[in-house]
Amino acid sequence: MIKFSRVFKVYEKNIQALTDINFEVAKGEFVFLTGPSGAGKTTILKLLYREETPDMGSIIVDDTDISRLSSGKVPFYRRGIGFVFQDFKLIFERSIYENLALPLEITGAPSKFIRHTVMESLEKIGLAGRENHNPWHISGGEKQKVAIARALIMSPPVLLADEPTGNLDEASAGEIMKMFKDANAKGTTVLMASHNKEIISNSGFRAVRLRGGRVEE
Amino acid sequence: MRLFREVVLNFKRSGFMSFVSIGTIILAVTMLGGFYIMQTVVNFAADQMQNRVEAVVFIKDGASAEEIKLLGDEITALSGVKEARYISKDDAYQDFAKDPEMQKILSSFEGNPLPDSISVKFNDYKAQEINSAVAAIKTKMAVEDVEYGAAEIEHLLNVINAVKYIAGAAGIIFVIAALLVVSNIIKLTIYNRRQDIYVLKMVGATGADIRLPFIFEGIAHGFLGGFLGWLILYAVVSFLAFQVKKETGIDLAAFYAFNPALLSPKFIFGMTGAGIVLGLTGSLMSQGRIFK
Ligand SMILES: Nc1ncnc2c1ncn2[C@@H]1O[C@H](COP(=O)(O)OP(=O)(O)O)[C@@H](O)[C@H]1O
Ligand SMILES: [Mg+2]
Repeated sequence: MIKFSRVFKVYEKNIQALTDINFEVAKGEFVFLTGPSGAGKTTILKLLYREETPDMGSIIVDDTDISRLSSGKVPFYRRGIGFVFQDFKLIFERSIYENLALPLEITGAPSKFIRHTVMESLEKIGLAGRENHNPWHISGGEKQKVAIARALIMSPPVLLADEPTGNLDEASAGEIMKMFKDANAKGTTVLMASHNKEIISNSGFRAVRLRGGRVEE
Repeated sequence: MRLFREVVLNFKRSGFMSFVSIGTIILAVTMLGGFYIMQTVVNFAADQMQNRVEAVVFIKDGASAEEIKLLGDEITALSGVKEARYISKDDAYQDFAKDPEMQKILSSFEGNPLPDSISVKFNDYKAQEINSAVAAIKTKMAVEDVEYGAAEIEHLLNVINAVKYIAGAAGIIFVIAALLVVSNIIKLTIYNRRQDIYVLKMVGATGADIRLPFIFEGIAHGFLGGFLGWLILYAVVSFLAFQVKKETGIDLAAFYAFNPALLSPKFIFGMTGAGIVLGLTGSLMSQGRIFK
């Protein structure tokens, strides 16, 4: 599903963020990206949803080399990828409902379908009845639940997450992890950056270890 | 639908700034509209005068028929003169006597007090040409006096013309100001919304999905500014016409087609359209590298 081959990334001012990265994630797999701060985890995820492009190497997602994707095709590629940020990235001028509806509205889905899908999703994360509230007023754990629900609302085959539990207490982190595992159980390929050793070892999933922009063997 | 909600959302966020943007569009459009209105007034008045302008040459008592004939030929030969028509004192008397008021006045005289005259019509309404023709006629021997009554109207036209050009210049300045204000305010809105724009991109919004709301925001500002500008211009002109009528009794609406022009759909659409073009151009100007 995801395959990095000989990927190099240099940021401006000659910061070598990634050096010769090679790894693969199979379809339906759940894989962690781990390593200390500055190791290059976020950079790998940014390459995967095309916020950045590599200086060398190929990144294959579902048989397409996304590093060569034309910029006109990028939005459509992103619709097949769910992304969860450490800081949620909810839009506070919009209601919880509108935040969840956003990806669907962009595709021009009919409003009845949007309503049905969003309400079902709110039900699942236990926020039914609060759809018109502002996401500013809910707890951190609930914010991240909304963010994950938004990432999953289009049922994307791939779900990426950058330290999604980094800002949360242990109990919330547990609930969040459960959402990812549920999504994975339904067939979604998950790649999650995390430096929380406990979460990784408890999950039983494989981890790609990074250090100084290289994959550790 | 989504577009509409996005525009409303931007409007809410920009708040006061949206009013500034609409306000400058109002100013620009009002000035342009004022220029156009004065242009129609000047053209209309000049047209009217062209048809009417006529100098009456009064002939000295006792001039012979030959002298009169010669004078007529001389006048016709002057540049800019269309025709010179001899009106005998008897013809003039009969003409005046048709009006009962005049009849009363005339009958208070003994005999016919009116002189022989020549009515002169001009090709074009060109003040300079007419003035020099009138001056030339005045020097002729058989001429008692020349009456030419358009000088005051001409003065008024000069004033309107001056105001017209001031409005035109102000219009151009405000158009530039409006473009700068609209584009910068939309830039500011885009800057304030950069977090949202990032999220929109990450969930797969295309460039058009992101840009269109801002472009429509510009169009909405332009539409509101243009229409309100028309409303304000209409109110101002109506008020002025009302005042003029009260003070002088002159009905500008009847004379110079003030109100009919203002109320024509062409004019309303024209001003609203000018506003929309301003808003659209301003918002297109704001779409720089922000979305790269
Ligand atoms: N936009 C950027 N410009 C320059 N350097 C960057 C940028 N983003 C990340 N880096 C650098 O690249 C390296 C890897 O960063 P990152 O991928 O964010 O690591 P991690 O997510 O594992 O903490 C770090 O040295 C970081 O300072
Ligand atoms: Mg990081």
